[in-house]
This record gives sequence, C-alpha cells and structure tokens, in this order.
Amino acid sequence: MEETKTQTGLDIEEIRRRLRGERGQRYWRSLEEVAETPEFQQFLEDEFPNRSSLLDLDRRSFLKVMGASLALAGLSGCRFLPKEKIVPYVKAPEEVVPGKPTYYATAMPFAGSSIGLIAKAVMGRPIKLEGNESHPWSLGASDVFSQAAILALYDPDRGTTVKNRGFVATWEEFLAEARKVLPQAKGVRLVVGDVASPTLERQLAEFQAIYPNAKIVRHEPVSRANVREGAKIALGREALPVHDFSKARVVLAVDADFLASMPGSVRYAREFAGTRRVDEENQSLSRLYCVEPAPTPTGILADHRLPIAQADLEGFLQHVAYLAGAASQPGAANLAPESFWNGLAKDLRSAGAQAAVVVGDACTPAAHALAIAIQAKLGSVGSTVRYVAAPAVRSDQRLSALVTDLESGAADAVLFLQANPVYSSGLGERLGKAIGKAKLSACFDLYETETAAACSWYLPAPHFLEDWSDARALDGTVSIVQPLVEPLHDTLSVHSLLPALMNRPSEPLAEVRKTWAVDDKTWRTWLNEGVASVPKAAELPVPATVQAPVGRSRRVDGFEVAIRPDPTVWDGTFANNGWLQELPKPFTKLTWDNAVHLSFSAAESLKVSNGDVVRVTLGERSVEGPAWILPGLAKNTVLLHLGYGRRAGGRVAEGAGFDVYPLTSEDSPWGGVGARVEKTGKRAVLASAQMHFSMEGRDIVRMGTMEEYRRNPSLKPEHAHGEAPRDLTLYSDEEKRREQEGVQQWGMAIDLNLCMGCNACVTACQAENNIPVVGKDQVQRGREMHWIRIDHYYGPRAGDGSGDNPTHVVQPINCMQCENAPCEPVCPVAATVHSHEGLNQMVYNRCVGTRYCSNNCPYKVRRFNYLNYQFAQKNFDRKEDIPLLKLLNNPDVTVRGRGVMEKCTYCVQRINAARIEAKKKGRDIRDGEVVTACQQACPSQAIVFGDVSDPNSRVSQIKRNQRNYALLGELNTRPRTTYLARVTNPNPEIEA
Amino acid sequence: MAETLTKPHDEEPLIEGNQTYASLTETVAGVVQRQKDHPKAWFVAFVLGFGLVNVLLLSITYLVYMGIGIWGNNQPVAWSFDIINFVWWIGIGHAGTLISAILLLMRQEWRTSINRFAEAMTIFAVMCAGMYPLLHTGRPWVAYWLLPYPNILAMWPQPRSPLVWDVFAVSTYMTVSILFWYTGLVPDLATLRERVKNRFAKVLAGMGSLGWRGSAKHWMRYEQAYIILAGLSTPLVLSVHTIVSFDFAVSILPGWQATIFPPYFVAGAVYAGFAMVLTFMIPMRRWYRIEHLVTMNHIDWMAKIMLTTGLIVFYGYIVEVFYAWYSANPYEQFMMWNRWHGPYAPAYWLLILCNGVIPQLLWSKKNRRNLKLVFAVSLVVSLGMWLERFIIIPVSLHRDFLPSSWGMYYPTIWDFGMFFGTIGFFVMMMFLFVRFIPMISIFEVRELWSRIRPQRAEVKEVEA
Repeated sequence: MEETKTQTGLDIEEIRRRLRGERGQRYWRSLEEVAETPEFQQFLEDEFPNRSSLLDLDRRSFLKVMGASLALAGLSGCRFLPKEKIVPYVKAPEEVVPGKPTYYATAMPFAGSSIGLIAKAVMGRPIKLEGNESHPWSLGASDVFSQAAILALYDPDRGTTVKNRGFVATWEEFLAEARKVLPQAKGVRLVVGDVASPTLERQLAEFQAIYPNAKIVRHEPVSRANVREGAKIALGREALPVHDFSKARVVLAVDADFLASMPGSVRYAREFAGTRRVDEENQSLSRLYCVEPAPTPTGILADHRLPIAQADLEGFLQHVAYLAGAASQPGAANLAPESFWNGLAKDLRSAGAQAAVVVGDACTPAAHALAIAIQAKLGSVGSTVRYVAAPAVRSDQRLSALVTDLESGAADAVLFLQANPVYSSGLGERLGKAIGKAKLSACFDLYETETAAACSWYLPAPHFLEDWSDARALDGTVSIVQPLVEPLHDTLSVHSLLPALMNRPSEPLAEVRKTWAVDDKTWRTWLNEGVASVPKAAELPVPATVQAPVGRSRRVDGFEVAIRPDPTVWDGTFANNGWLQELPKPFTKLTWDNAVHLSFSAAESLKVSNGDVVRVTLGERSVEGPAWILPGLAKNTVLLHLGYGRRAGGRVAEGAGFDVYPLTSEDSPWGGVGARVEKTGKRAVLASAQMHFSMEGRDIVRMGTMEEYRRNPSLKPEHAHGEAPRDLTLYSDEEKRREQEGVQQWGMAIDLNLCMGCNACVTACQAENNIPVVGKDQVQRGREMHWIRIDHYYGPRAGDGSGDNPTHVVQPINCMQCENAPCEPVCPVAATVHSHEGLNQMVYNRCVGTRYCSNNCPYKVRRFNYLNYQFAQKNFDRKEDIPLLKLLNNPDVTVRGRGVMEKCTYCVQRINAARIEAKKKGRDIRDGEVVTACQQACPSQAIVFGDVSDPNSRVSQIKRNQRNYALLGELNTRPRTTYLARVTNPNPEIEA
Repeated sequence: MAETLTKPHDEEPLIEGNQTYASLTETVAGVVQRQKDHPKAWFVAFVLGFGLVNVLLLSITYLVYMGIGIWGNNQPVAWSFDIINFVWWIGIGHAGTLISAILLLMRQEWRTSINRFAEAMTIFAVMCAGMYPLLHTGRPWVAYWLLPYPNILAMWPQPRSPLVWDVFAVSTYMTVSILFWYTGLVPDLATLRERVKNRFAKVLAGMGSLGWRGSAKHWMRYEQAYIILAGLSTPLVLSVHTIVSFDFAVSILPGWQATIFPPYFVAGAVYAGFAMVLTFMIPMRRWYRIEHLVTMNHIDWMAKIMLTTGLIVFYGYIVEVFYAWYSANPYEQFMMWNRWHGPYAPAYWLLILCNGVIPQLLWSKKNRRNLKLVFAVSLVVSLGMWLERFIIIPVSLHRDFLPSSWGMYYPTIWDFGMFFGTIGFFVMMMFLFVRFIPMISIFEVRELWSRIRPQRAEVKEVEA
C-alpha cells in the first residue's frame, strides 16, 4: 500500500487538500504535479523528459546522439524572431469568423467603364479582388489593373488628410472656404475624367443647376473620343461598339488590342478563346488578322500580323471597305501584298455576318466610321457587333479653354475630381501656372498628384473599396460599388463632397440609392449579385449601307510617334502601384520604366542600341528617353508609353521613366507624324526581366499551322526528343505509386493557343501569395520574385528575315510541380519535398538557403529572398504604428523572410481550404472547387487546374488533347504542368 | 624505376651544404627562437594579410546583416563567387594532404622539407573554404541544420543531397588534417621546449609537446600513429574533391552533369595546391635562408607534379568538349558553344591559356629551375584554377535550358571583399605560422640527414 502510493498511485485526498488550500489562480499540468509526486519532480527537473538515459542507449543511438548534439548544445537558441503584440476582439463583430474570409460583390470604375469584382475580406480587411462571374464584363476573370487595385487601398503614399498649400487642414476648413468662394465665383470649373458613375453624373448636373456659372471640363488622357466621334459620323449619334467574338469566324483587328487593353477585353478574350480551342473533334479555328503599328498582346495570337504605321491605318481600312464593297474608292493598296488583300477580302466576305472588324481607340474617327460601314455591309452588325448609345456625358469645355479661362480670370474656382491634367496633358505646364490665379483651386484624388501640387487645396479621395458608388460597364451594365472597409484615412466620398459644396450634406450611400430608387430587397439583390437589374444602354439601329468618309493615309516624313497608355501603369493612374511597376511589360519585359521603342530597322539606321538615350521631337516639343528595340513595330513608328515621369504622386511613381505627355495635345493625343529621333550620347539603365528572346531552336513552345496540326497533331518537332518513356527507369516507383494511390493528384494544363500574355495571372499570383516588390535595382540584377512569369520569344515569320515582323509567342511558366523534381534530392535539409498529392512543396521554415534547388531547376521558377524584401516593404510603410501594407497580406500564405527560397505552390492554401470544406462533407474535392489565382484571373481560361488522377476532370480531359506536351520532357522531370501546343490558322492563300 | 623512386637524391642532395644535426636544428628552430630577426618582408606580408582580414570581417558582418543580396548572385546564377572560392580553397589544401600522406606512404624523402609547410597550408585553406558554405546560405544562423544532430523534430539532413556529403567530406578532411599536422609537430615542439629561452614560449611549447621525451617508446608510437593517420588521409586526397565535384556532377545542369568531374577535380586540386605551395615556398626559402633545405630539386619536383596534374586537368577540358559533341545533346553543345563564344568567352580562353598552355613551359628542366618563372607559372595556375571554377559555376548557370531565364552575373564589391578577405586570412595565418611554429619538420630533416650523411661519408672515404 505504502509502495503503490509513492511509486505509481495518486493520493486523491492529498490532491484535493492541496487544491483547496490554493488561493487565486494556479495552473497545473497534471494531477501528478498537484500531488507533487517524486516522479513528477524528476520529470520537471529533466530537460528532455522522454529521453532515456545515456546509459540506456544502444551503440547506434549513442553514436547518433554523440554525432553532433554535444558540440551544438545551445545553438538552437540563436534565432531571433520579431516580437509582436496581439489584441483579440473584446466583442466579436457579427459575421466575422477568424480565419474565414467573407466575399462581397463590388466593381472597379476605370476610365469611364468598370469591371465587376468580388472582393475577399479576412477579418474585415480586403485582401484580394477577383472577377465577378455574374458580371458580363468580367465573367469571373479580371485584368492586371483590377488585380493590382487592392494594393492602392493600403498604399502608404495615399493622401491621408486635407492639405491647404501643403499644410494639414480639415474638411471643414475646405468646405467653409468653398462655400464662401463658390457663390461669388465668376466661373466655376469641375474637371473630371470619363465618369462611369451615374450618380456622379447626376450630381454634376445638380451642381451645375445650383452654380449656373459652373462648367464641366472632361479630361481623360486615354479617351475613347475617337470611337464615339466615328459612330457620330457614321450613325449620327455617339455610340460605342460592343463586340461578340464568340460568333466571329474572321476577325480583323486594326490597332485594336481587344484581348488585353481595350475596354471590355476581359469578356472579349473569353469569347475569342472559345473560337480558338482545337481538339480532335473541333478543328475549325477562327482567323485573326492584326494590323497594327505596335505589337499588342492581341497581335501575339494573330494568324496574320501586319505592322503598319498609325498614319496608314485609315487608308488600310478604306481599302478593306473597298474590297468588301462598302466603299467605292480604293484605299492604300500598297500597304500589303496582293495575296493578303485577296485572302482577307475573301475571308471577310465569306464570313459575312461572322466577320468582325475591331478598330482601336487610337484610330481616327474616320477609321471607326469605315469599320461601321464595312460591318454593316458584311451584315455582321447585330451578330458580332452591336452599337450602343454612349452614355450622355456633359462636357462644356475643353481643357485648353479652361487654361485660357483661368489665365484670363474668367474661371476663378476650379475643382479637379480625380483628374490630373497638370501631369496628364500636353498643357500641363501652362495649366499648372494658370491654376495659381484661381481664388479656389482644389484637387480631389487618391494621391497628392502634380495637379494637387499646383492647387491650393488637396482633398484625399477614398479608394473604391472604401466608398459607395455605382459604375457603368461598357454596354451600360450597372454595378453598385460596395465598400469593404471604413475609410482608412480622412477621406470624403465624391458623392458627399459635391452635395456638401451644394450646401446639402449627404451620405454617399443615400446619394447612390437616390439615383437608383429601388426597394431594399432589389437593392440587396444588386449588392449580392454585383449587377443591377437596370436596362442596359440602348442599341442603335445600323442601316445596311453606311456612308463613311474616305479614309486616307497620311505621309510619314521621318518618324511617326505612336503614343499609347502603358500596359502596366496605364496613363499614370497606377504609377504608384509597385506591383504594376514591377510587372514585366508584354514584349519587352521592361519594369519600372518606359522607353522609346524603335523598330529593328529604325534602330539599325539610327545606330541606337537598347539603353541609348534618344530625343524624340514631334513638332516643337521633344522628350528624351532610353531607346528599346521592339521587333514588330512598324518600321518608322516610335512607340511611347504614357504614365511615367511622374513628378508627384508617391514615392513609387516619382522618378520612374520619362513623361511623354508633352508630345500630346488635345487634338492629337495619340502621337503624330513628322517626328525626329536623335541620339543624345547618354545612356540609361533599364531593368528587363527577360534578356534573351530566342528559343535557340529548342523544343520549348510547340507551334504550327492548322495544316501542320492535321498532319502531326502533337506538333512535336522532328528533332525533339519529347517526354522520356515512363517505364524506362532503373528505380522502382512502386513506393511512390502506393503513396499516391487513392489520393487526388494535382496538375495543370496551359493552352498556349489561348494565352496572349496579358499578365493578369502574374498580378493575381502576386496578390494571392504575398509576393514582395523588389525594386528596379533588384530586377536588373535578376532577382524579381514573380512565381509565375510570361516568357516571350520571337521567331522569324516565314519569308521575312528583317526582324521587323517576327512571330511572337508567349508561355506562362510557373512551378511545373515535377513528379521527378530535380530540386528535391539536392536540398540538404529536406526543405523542398513532395506531397502525396504530387505537389512539390517548399517548407520555408526549414529552408537554409543554399539555393542548390534553384540551380538544379531546369525551368528556373524558383525565387530567392536575396535580401529581406518583406522587411524592405515594411520600411516603406510611412507610419510605424500602422503597418498598412501588412494588412494586405493573405493570412493563408506564409510571408517569407530573407534567405529562403520560394516558388509557386499551385495555391496550396486554396487546395487546403477546399479540402477542409470537402472533408466536412466527407467527400473528395470536386473538380473545379480548387481554382488557382492565376487560373481565376485568366480572361481566356488558358489555365486549367485540377485532379489529374480523375480521368473525368477538366484538366485530365484537356491533357488528353494531342497537343499536350511536357516542357523539357526529355529531362524526365515529369512536370505536372503541361502545355497545349499553339495552332495558328493562317489563310493558305496568303503568301507570308 | 624503383631505384629512382626510392633514391631520388642520388644525383643531387636533398639537403645541401655541409650540415650537422645542430646546424639543421638551428636553421629551422632559429626562425622561431630569434623573433627579432624576421625579415621586413614578413611585416609587409603580415600587415597586408591583416588588413585584408579586416576587409573580411567587414564583409562578413555586412553579409550577415543584409543577406546574400549584397553579392552579385541572382536567378539563374544562384551560386557564384561563394562556391567558386569554396572549391578553389578546398583544392588548394590538397597539396598538403598529398605531400603528407601519399608521398609519405611512397617513401618520397623529398617531402620532409615541405610537408609541414604544405600541411599548414591545407589547414588554413580549409578554414577559408569552410567559411563559404556556411556564409553563403541565406540564413547562416540555421546552417547547422546540415549537420546530423538529434532534435525534437526528428529532422535529419536529407542524405541524397551532395551538400550533406560535403559537410562530412570537409569536416573529416579538416579533422584529419589537423590531427596529422599536430602529430607531426609534437617532437618539434619538444625540441622548441628545450631551446627557447622565453618562459612563456617554453610553457606553451611544453604543453604542446604533450610530455614528449624522445624515448624509443615515444618514437615507436609516434611512427605508428603517423602511418595510421597517413593511411586515413590517403583516401581523403581522392574523396574530398570527388565529393566536392558531386555538388555539380549530381545535378542535371549542362556543364555540371559530367562523369569526368571526380578525377578531373582531384587532379585540379593537386594542381592548384602545388601552385600555392610554390607561390609561398619560393619567396619563403629565400627570406628565411633555407635554400639548402628546400633545394632546387624540391622546386623541380613540385613543378613536375604541377605539370602532370595540369595535363590531367587539360585532358578533362578536352573530354568535356568531346562529350559535348559526342552526346549530341543540344544543351551540352550549346553549353560548350557558350563557353567559347558567349559573353564570358574571354574567361574560358584565359583559363585555357593559364591552365593548358603556360604550364607547358615546365617541360624544360631549365625552366623548372628558373625560380622567377616557376613562381610566375604557379600564380598563373592559381588564377587558372579559379577561372576553371568560374567557368563551371556561373557560366554554366547563366544560360541553361530555357533561354527566357538566361541572365548575366556581375560580381559586386562584396564578392571581391570576401574573396580577397579570405586570401588575406590565409596570408596572415601562413605568416603567423612561419613565425611561431617550425616551418620545416626538424626531426624529419635530421632523420633524413642521418640517412644521407653516411652515404656521403662513404663517398668521401672512397675518394680519400
């Protein structure tokens, strides 16, 4: 009895007695502790309770222990991790479940249009934007701008308070002064861009009603004025074309990047992709003709691409109209070879209603009118294109008139509503000075822009995720812009600002609801759906014969300047967005800079190489910037991108690139002819994320024409080895097979026939996976961190060795998740290992950072934290107490510190989230339940992800396509990501 | 053949001049005893080395503070100076091991004048080498995870990785080298203990000599231990660099994945090692007036070994070219084309010049006995062997399979800071070594003398 008590038994009475005697809180680990048994005392004293004594060890275990433990005793204490305070909710808000994201439908207004989005919020902070499936202009996909928009919400450079002449002020002060000045003002001017919000349009009208001397000045640097103007010429009313490429068999795109940057491109890409899927059953492909001065992502997918100067496009369309029978006069027939004209004309005529002619926003109104005439003649209006009434926007004055009025004093109060003409117009300098003469000048914007610097007042605008609003899409589809967070800064909604100026304060929600007088139930449905059930824009009738002016080519003396919005920072609106700055631009892969793009032969004749600073003179104005050769440009066209050379507007924006706006004017925002290009002798350093654009004859991107595909459906080149046979191995993979049996196996297929390299996946991945921005210097050193990249290669177009019109191919590359991953055996610490589901996983915590895995990766998809990039980002946060950028991080993805390797995980956090849901229901994850970030963003659905062990999953079906191939398959890496070879559909009648 | 191998000194003596045991001891031990008599060159070299050590410390501090990003490494060139220098230093150490172990077992008596010196070089070179794999990791504070030690996570190193093999190879190498060097040092420390006047030095030497009294039993045990250690070291000469070469040969990268690598690396290591021994020995024998111990014969033989191993290395280069062609593998072929014509082609051709062409001067006996020339050639070989690793590591990495991820590598000031810093460390350690430890094995020279002298006496008697 005595023995059992001390050795093993517990004296319950004793425990009770001891516990009764305790006062206050006492924590105890076990009953043994309370009883203070000798065993427990020994257990406590023992540092490693469960290890046996050294003496008990057998020889092998002894050696194991002796191997290094003694020498290394204590080393494990040498790690330092930041200390952080956490504060839990005292009262939990309703609907917020820690760890469970909530989703809200909203919309992103952008350049007079909008795209419907679903915002994901975790614990009340929005962290990711995705396309809204029920929104017709998103269909669940998105583009780079909507993917990157979330970063702006947390941008530490955003304006945080009202400022008066640079000093912190309050809204009350501003409103007091405005209410004083406005009623007495001689002339009030409101400068706005192309507004997508019907509520704002209504308020602008109301504002004018109250202040009759107020005029509205429209300033949209990248406007669609030519499109509307063209429709006015042809149809007598401003209209916008709404295309339907799903019905198009032949598409002629004239300087129209309808797959990536044109308004509506997200939907267009989906529609077009539907006509480009090739498999054994479906072998009819649509045909895409691209005629453009500068290569665009759309041009990448073209079956026939013709680089033609911007000045010649009108003449080109005139000839198309002539050949289609829509015009009596021939156009510039010399622009293309005879066979091209014949082939194109025949194709268009035979396609008839299934033909589409898309003309880019930069084309002249006459060109747009011609396109309407051609389509009317072909009978495709109503099938591949509809013309809808453009939203009636009031514009009382042009910018130049505003400048004159300000200078003369006719206007003495000016308010810039999210417009930045001091930067984004050719009149900027004059305007900046003229603003100073106004009694009241205020700039309402997200950032303290150049215009804000010129104005006496700066008014911080809320991000669209902080504000109620509404937005029209291309065809008039209305979405309610729903806020996800309370404003982070001292901002005021524009919908409150205007009423406040009109002396009738109001809330933005009330204002938006006033526009749409609907009952609560409908309203809630709208919010839920993300689309309002209101009539879309009216469709205009188009007569069978449309009279269009005769299109003419302009003579190009010297060079022609083509000015386009930048593919990543647009007109400068996104210049302070690090994700977009670091996003490699299509074709050049440049980051952090714009450049003077020259064609191959122009660079040759000017003896200019990449990085030489050149001066481009157009008329009396000139700009200087580094040259970059862009094969595919029309010979004498100089391509310049807007959006750079910002002088204000945030630390990221300022100092990057050079400003092109001085070359623009109100009448010619898209450049002009007669430009001169001279070398300055200076050099500039540009950071390109890709340095070599030739495939070197390797079997990397498989491609062929339809004819070749019919002959050889795999499109495997003759010399290529192809994938190593699976049974040819010395080693049994029995064990691996057993482990993977009955377990879902993840894989991905990317259809190169659909990818045009729009970059949406890259930005989506960056947003989803907490990928840091590293800066120009680091990109230049080759240390960009993107987990998915778009590789770009040039190939010679048959018959043309000049390099001026090469074939372009793009290939998105993420981690291939090789079954025989070369990275895994070389890691000395087992930090990269294979999961049963076939994922090649990175264990960040275990990674020591030898970088051997990267060396042994044939796809070079691994990314290394050479410096503490995340920490650098933290330093970027201005206020130490509010780490804004930290709020952006996806809590399901580890933030990587310095010295560890990282790479694509197939969005393992999304797989796990789906697994949890599936397990709760006791089943496997269903096909389509896991959607990777890149797949979700992809407008053309080129990326398909799923379970490859299930023969019925979509990815398995796609992988059964004969075009399916493994990249570098001959290395026997057995990648889980495979590609579908690209098939082009050139017109056999056209001699290349 | 056997005759010439066992008695290379038949023609020319291995110890020159009219020596006695006392004079030999005096020559070597005197360097340590007479601390004030060191040549000016010592101070110059030491200060230079010490200065560079400070650069090293600065570079390391900044490296640990900032991260690997201060170097020029990038994607795709994730390894560069870090691993080049690691392999280069490890290679340099190989001469010491070869001289101590293999030449001992082969009874090459000429090793006695240079083995201590070469072994010291081995140890310091491995120290320099060891810094790199540790510091080149992204998180050096957890680099100990490469060691097998029991832990509550039950995580062991991943044994398929050549980097883990490296850890074992290099640490074994270091351990055995130190043991070997120290064992050989014990009798000489005892000699010093008896000779030095300084009390402090006497105590130190006394402690280091582990109670050596020179009894027959001591000598017997010493000989046994020394031979056993030599036996242990012998495979190391081959294994260490073989395993280092596996870091590359095991990968799938064109330019790395080559079966010729193990022998080619070992030969290269010995080549580089002898070059470094010559680089130091040639000035040192003059500064410390030990020309009669490290004779022209020694220089000659070392040059010959350099020539031989150099030819093996050159053969390796030829085999690489041959297999690039013979494999019909476009990636291998491109790799070779890129070495010849790519952006780093000058480095390749300089390598061929340094390692393949210039050392051919050593075919001529006259040249092998031209100290200035041999010194110059040894420097050229050191450069060449560094370039060889440059060609293998960054030049293979910078253009691999997918042209889209090709890049360029440019070293930064910190890359050079680390490199010259380790050179400084090496120089400093070598000069500290010659000052405080007998740089030639006193007792072995005396023993050699004991075997040479009688022969000479006989000759004299016959002549008389």
